[in-house]
Amino acid sequence: MEKSLVDLENGTTCSSWNYSGQRLAAGSADGFLSIFDARDSASSSFTRSSKSRVHDTGIVKVVWIPPEYGDAVACVCADGTLSLWEEVVEDAQPLQWKLCKSFKSNSSQVLDVQFGVSLSGLKMVAAYSDGHIRVYELLDPLELKNWQLQIRNNLIPPRHAFLPLSLLYDFRFVLMATCIKLLETTNASLCLFFMRCPFEVWEFDQAHQRWLPVAELALPGNKGDQVYSVAWAPNIGRPYEVIAVATHKAIALWHLGLIPDTDGRLSVEQVALLSGHAGEMWQMEWDMSGMTLATSGSDGKVRLWQSNLNGVWHEQAALEPTT
Amino acid sequence: MPVVAPFSGDTRGVSDSSSNGSIVPFSPEAPNHSAVYALRHGLKPPIARLSISWSRGNTLRVSVLRQPSDDGEAGGRVVEVNLSNGDAEISDAQWRRIAYGSVTPFALLQSRRSSVSSLSKMSISPSHYHVDWWEYVMEYSKDIVSLLGHRKSPSGTVIEDPREIVKTVEEPTSLKAAWDLMEIFYADKQSQPWLPERLVDWLTDYDCLLSSTQTTVHSKLVGFQKELVSLQVIEDYPKYWEVISSALAIGWLELVVKMLRLHGSYELDQLGNRETENGLVEAVAVLISKMPRMRLELAEGKAGECFMAKPDFMKAWEKWRAQISKLDSSAYWVECDHLQTREGLKNMLQIMLGNTNSLSAATCHWVELYISHLLYIRPFTVGLESMNSLAQKCMQLKPMSSTHRLIELMVGILGENTEVVLAECSRAFGPWMVAHATELMTAGSDQAEVLLHEERDNLGEMSIAELHRLVYAQVLASHVLTWQIAPVYLISCMKQGMGLLELLLCKQPVQHNETLLKNIEICRLYDLDSVSSNIMKVAGVYHWKHGRKGAGVFWLQQARDEVRLNRIAKYLFDSVGKSISDESFKQWEGLIELLGSESKTAGGLDFLHKYRDFKKSLKQVQVGKTTDASRQAAESLISLMKNPSTPQQFWLPLLYDSLKLLNWQERPLLSVSQTNLLLNKLQELSMAKLRPDFIEVDLPPQALSSVRLALATNLGRAILEE
Repeated sequence: MEKSLVDLENGTTCSSWNYSGQRLAAGSADGFLSIFDARDSASSSFTRSSKSRVHDTGIVKVVWIPPEYGDAVACVCADGTLSLWEEVVEDAQPLQWKLCKSFKSNSSQVLDVQFGVSLSGLKMVAAYSDGHIRVYELLDPLELKNWQLQIRNNLIPPRHAFLPLSLLYDFRFVLMATCIKLLETTNASLCLFFMRCPFEVWEFDQAHQRWLPVAELALPGNKGDQVYSVAWAPNIGRPYEVIAVATHKAIALWHLGLIPDTDGRLSVEQVALLSGHAGEMWQMEWDMSGMTLATSGSDGKVRLWQSNLNGVWHEQAALEPTT
Repeated sequence: MPVVAPFSGDTRGVSDSSSNGSIVPFSPEAPNHSAVYALRHGLKPPIARLSISWSRGNTLRVSVLRQPSDDGEAGGRVVEVNLSNGDAEISDAQWRRIAYGSVTPFALLQSRRSSVSSLSKMSISPSHYHVDWWEYVMEYSKDIVSLLGHRKSPSGTVIEDPREIVKTVEEPTSLKAAWDLMEIFYADKQSQPWLPERLVDWLTDYDCLLSSTQTTVHSKLVGFQKELVSLQVIEDYPKYWEVISSALAIGWLELVVKMLRLHGSYELDQLGNRETENGLVEAVAVLISKMPRMRLELAEGKAGECFMAKPDFMKAWEKWRAQISKLDSSAYWVECDHLQTREGLKNMLQIMLGNTNSLSAATCHWVELYISHLLYIRPFTVGLESMNSLAQKCMQLKPMSSTHRLIELMVGILGENTEVVLAECSRAFGPWMVAHATELMTAGSDQAEVLLHEERDNLGEMSIAELHRLVYAQVLASHVLTWQIAPVYLISCMKQGMGLLELLLCKQPVQHNETLLKNIEICRLYDLDSVSSNIMKVAGVYHWKHGRKGAGVFWLQQARDEVRLNRIAKYLFDSVGKSISDESFKQWEGLIELLGSESKTAGGLDFLHKYRDFKKSLKQVQVGKTTDASRQAAESLISLMKNPSTPQQFWLPLLYDSLKLLNWQERPLLSVSQTNLLLNKLQELSMAKLRPDFIEVDLPPQALSSVRLALATNLGRAILEE
């Protein structure tokens, strides 16, 4: 039975739950960040505890920072700025959300951001519209102000890029899917669209402190596909990783081996190709055991995918929102 | 709402070989269409976007966002769906009672399993322990059954009202019926020789459940009960005889006897005219109540005579049947004038003699027909193979118009098809059932044991049994009142249970001390030190950032988070180090006290503790007078500067703060060697300035030169004095 938890304001564009599902952050088209809190741990009633203006333009994505770094969110705005906001009590002031850091660039826009905790600390991976992936490292575990650029990886220098990102929770891997759309206008009446999408898995080499590509998730026939979303399944003990990659055709599920070959590459196998959502895929989320994949798409449905005991994946159920 | 526990449905056809001849065909293909469920959000369309997020366990939260508009309505709504709502037959509260109650039996059985397996590894004759295993399982099963409800027999309830034949009692649950069925076939090895009679009892208890999908003897009886009140001459009424023979066919003997005694010939005013008729009725009633039964025991008030051993039973059975035949061919029937009575009683004798047609006519459902065959034709049926072939025959005679989950389960069990049983348990009775019933199944057969405990590549190297426990644990994790018992099931999963437990614990909120302490307790119980320190770290940062500095430091110390504690210590240096008279010193003094009490956890804090003492003694120093205080202050300065844990960034502030000691008017407070030590430190500091990681301190620009000058002066005076 469904239960209504929160009413969101007019103009809400994105929302995100924190690690424990006790706080909800919502961004709006007019640049406001709202935080909703449960009254107590057993309660399912949420009320807004804060509302602050983050930016002049709308917020397109809100991401919570891992809890060992405080109650903080990263907001990606429509104009490509990225800002980090944190709930703190400073000196004699009351509890409030404060801006810790703003990443701004004149030449390129931030499109997506993800966080991961590694042994050396918190890392932030941001995808930029110029085709760069930048990995930042937090210098001080108690301050979200100071970030150091760890790598800048130039994937492809396009004019327009869309980069969904996914990080493995222990930050051993980062999965980047770049989907480059080049628009070339030869004359007023003819437009050529050129799309390509290699989606790659990168691993951080601790010994040499550098990032290396270790696998590529694409079948030869799919190299030109547009990627909508990628999601890394939590691994609670499997000898391989499971990754979902949604393209405009279908959702591909990949197994990624964990033992590198002599060239340092990891084995990959596409284990399922699931079609169900007609149109664009919006989001994919794995449950905590990595056994159920929930997806939402422009067909307005939420679909749930599971594997049977033979490893055959299928759509288990669909939820259709109605008034 | 859907039961979307992972793998809830399609567990059939796990292995090709064992599915041969299965009733449910092997299908490696996924189902073509999935169920679609409505998600009511109550918002005015159009909907612009759906955002999804998993919450506890199997709970999915969907943010439904509308297009921005000026209509004054909400811009969106977050709706939560629990995907593991179990059996609708059982309320949530009841489910939680079952969930909590089954923890102890489950944990006990697991610990017995591990001790038995470790014993059998050492022992020379492991078979000794193997033999006893089913007894443990039976004990477990009894404990579980007691949670599912009390045994209430709806049929044979003899109560005061002589006209009440079927008492409406609280309906038993299908869950209990299913569990009983599995216990009968898999766990209860002791009752194996009396399996048919146990099935008779099972149907007695649960025939009413089958009424939900089709007519049963029970539903006929309930229907007749309603008419009974208005009936005058009961034996004239054909339905009386119909119902009575149906009840007889499935062995509800005491009910049949009771109904027979409602016969009109028992009426006092009738006895004279209908003596023979009454004699026949009574003769049948006596025969029925003397029916030999091959079973361990008969409950008090149950009709029939109990025989445990086959030879004794055989003898009694032959004798009993001879008596029936004799009565059947008796001359008294001619003297019975009442047609319905004569025919009704004759039909009952045919049923008792095992006339296939009579049995078939008297029963409604194939399971009822099956039970009647077991009672009157083949009471010696043993072995699943023959039981199954009889069941198949009955199914052909009485094809099912609709299916019932209990029947599907029975078909799977009789067919010795572990996959089907597992799939039915999962599909029809949910994750609790399948997680707990696997214990019964593995006790039942080696084939099931192998199937359920074999590691599978498809499942990431875990077994089916483990998978179902994980699924159930996830269901438990979905609710705030049950997540605490999920660890019991997770630790019994060798491969992936710990991984899920760690994730589960890391997802618990840390804001409330009560939950936090519970989390830490669970970690301690299962040796999850790294998880527990991570939880404490999150709690520490949470409190630190939310203005509760003391609680923050406490939890970070508990977490032994050196990095953050050092950072806090540094933060305190900065606050404390600014000036002696600064108010912030007082503000932080308590914190330093707290940090200092467990200074071992962070080297820097040791320094801070000393630094505070130094600052205190410096405060007491009165300029111009050589006192113990000034000498003591100089001593602590030297010990601080000597101490390797004193951060370099503090050297200069320390010396600058001590200027009045260095420039002591009366006599030099520091010896030559002490002054040299300080000068060397100063030299080291100027070298360090060239390194990139050097931290510039916030001091007046002339600080360094005034310290150097003071030291030089002190050195000169000290040399002269020495």
